[in-house]
Amino acid sequence: MSARVLVAMSGGVDSSVAAAILRERGYDVVGVAMRLAPEPPAGTGRGKATCCSHDDFEDARRVAERMDFPFYVVDLREDFAARVIGNFVGEYLAGRTPNPCVMCNREIKFDRLRSRARALGADFIATGHYARIEQGVDGRPRLMRARDAAKDQSYFLFATGRDELSRTLFPLGAMTKDEVRARARRLGLRNADKPESQEICFVPDNDYAAFVRRSALSRTPAPGRIVNSDGRELGRHPGVHHFTVGQRRGLGIASGEPLYVREIRAARGEVVVGRKSELNARGLVAGQVNLLDPELAGGRETPVEVKIRYRHPGLPATLRMIDGARAEVRFASEGPAVTPGQACVFYRGDEVLGGGFIAQAIAEAAP
Amino acid sequence: MRVYLDHNAGSPVRPSARRAISRCLDGERGNPASAHRSGQSARRMLERAREQVAELVGARPETIVFTSGGSESNNLAIFGAARASGSRRRIVSSALEHSSILAPLAALEARGFEVVLLAPDRDGRIDAATAAAAIDDSVALVTLGLVNAEVGVIQSVAPIADAARRARALFHLDAAQAVGRIPVNVQSLGCDLLTMSAHKIGGPSGIGALYAAAEARIAPLILGGPQERGMRAGTPNLPGAAGFGVAAEEVARTLHTESSRAASLADALLESLFAAIPGLELNGPRRDRVPHTLNLTFPGVLGESLMMALDLEGVEVSMGSACAAGAVEPSHVLIAMGRGRAAARSSLRISLGWPTTDEEISFAAATIAQVWRRVAAAEPDAERRDAGVAEAPR
Repeated sequence: MSARVLVAMSGGVDSSVAAAILRERGYDVVGVAMRLAPEPPAGTGRGKATCCSHDDFEDARRVAERMDFPFYVVDLREDFAARVIGNFVGEYLAGRTPNPCVMCNREIKFDRLRSRARALGADFIATGHYARIEQGVDGRPRLMRARDAAKDQSYFLFATGRDELSRTLFPLGAMTKDEVRARARRLGLRNADKPESQEICFVPDNDYAAFVRRSALSRTPAPGRIVNSDGRELGRHPGVHHFTVGQRRGLGIASGEPLYVREIRAARGEVVVGRKSELNARGLVAGQVNLLDPELAGGRETPVEVKIRYRHPGLPATLRMIDGARAEVRFASEGPAVTPGQACVFYRGDEVLGGGFIAQAIAEAAP
Repeated sequence: MRVYLDHNAGSPVRPSARRAISRCLDGERGNPASAHRSGQSARRMLERAREQVAELVGARPETIVFTSGGSESNNLAIFGAARASGSRRRIVSSALEHSSILAPLAALEARGFEVVLLAPDRDGRIDAATAAAAIDDSVALVTLGLVNAEVGVIQSVAPIADAARRARALFHLDAAQAVGRIPVNVQSLGCDLLTMSAHKIGGPSGIGALYAAAEARIAPLILGGPQERGMRAGTPNLPGAAGFGVAAEEVARTLHTESSRAASLADALLESLFAAIPGLELNGPRRDRVPHTLNLTFPGVLGESLMMALDLEGVEVSMGSACAAGAVEPSHVLIAMGRGRAAARSSLRISLGWPTTDEEISFAAATIAQVWRRVAAAEPDAERRDAGVAEAPR
């Protein structure tokens, strides 16, 4: 009997093609679409945030029918609310800028969906992520960047456990987006040429601040002061959840030179701004670190390339684990602003060595 | 092997009904409303079906209105009664009902009707005295399911029928899940309106009927012709009616043997599952229930997971209702019975039907026990996970 694989299908092109490819390779494919986002409140835009209309999973169903494999819709809204949205809102309240996609992969796809896969007798789970998994000579699976550098999504996957990787398949890792689209057209998918959404799936109209306010209610941050590095008040702001470190627009302050958000002091309700040069960091401290390469554990300094945002090109840096969960990353030269809450991911060549969530910037040069 | 145990959602068409539909399609020509001989022949076929359906529930043929199914029959009964209700503005029903009753009631509530939804006890029984107390001369309609689709409880409706008669309120029974499972007789039930659905008894989908007593005043929903005594305009679904009629006739003839067969199969399945699954619970009463329907709470698993896993291994059962996207929702009936959300999320409905065999039941019993063990080990306590937005886990 062929191995059973649970394929997470969004209804989009990528995961539909991923499922079709696995079916062609002879896997016993079970397609699963996840209901994750809550119903948006009336009056907000639909965006991608309504995951319970008949049409949403239409392409997924179409592939399942055409390729003759079972397909189900699972309701993970409560887990998603507790583990992803709860984290998202909490991070904004703490003055950080979260990356819910990383959290969703870790908490939903590689945890809830993994146990669902076991419940369904599936050995593997698969997604339409652009990333590769290679088996090393030592038997350890290695998470690698996708062949299509422009589409590479390995950044979002760093928090996947080592043993998870050995039971995960990314069928699109060696394909380009154009190849995937061509495949989708051959499969007759309606969405083959649909432009991709960059929005967060559960935030209607991409309005984070309004979403945080609706979710946090009385815990919503109060208006406060905008100050410079010396603590002088330059203006007022409507609440720290409106801001992201590195942000320039929307500060509402007239100034001779452009000002950027340098720090968010959530406890004091203060937004600290400064000139661009004041933002540049020498490094960062990351928490909740997941090491995919066990060699990195221990206090040894290791040269790595670090990505501090999804679209960041990467910087040469030195990595040192402070303890089991925290890492210190020193950039080889002065780096850009780092945004607490965002993921930072360590690479060696195409291999993902691990990653964590940015806890704070390091401003001063190494001793 | 694939074992279909979701007959409360719809049973396969009986061979006799299939033959009747086929004969009708082969020979059908003309409209039952036409005066020529083809029309007359079509009309005879339709009236024969009406007699067969009427016979099943002890009604006169002219009281049977063919509809597109149980949902339309319920809508016709409720909106039809509301439109003809005069000054009476109150409707009595229960929280257990099918959505084709609850949704029309919600719509009427929005138009100013007062809707009283009776709460059942833990076994899903409506207390007849409470119901009777809610019925006075302000009530236009009492509408209740005779047999509940989710848990199979049979309501004792005689005192409710009496109360409705005394208050001169219309009494509607949704018997879609009762017909073919228990003897149903409109006279002894004392109802004015009664819903039937063909595909629940091995007829085709897309056809049902509403029994409407000659003196029951309801207004039609579909206007535009004299068909069905003016209660439903439009050329009737003749092949559907032919299949429905023959299925009704077969059910009337075999009800006793089919019911006792279903009862012994269900008992065997239950016995085997109780032995294999510690903590398994049967929802609904021990007595006063149809044997075909088993609603079970499986300890330590999500019903959604168990249902999917069973489907992959060839056993088809159901859970609650499905949303537009196809995800399953916990049963509103179990929640109304006070079973709690966690229990409702761990519950599945297994429903037997006319083609169910011994062999299928043995296969299902073994598969369910085996799959339950796997699912419980893979997702421990998944059904008890807290709802709502939690604080950031940092």
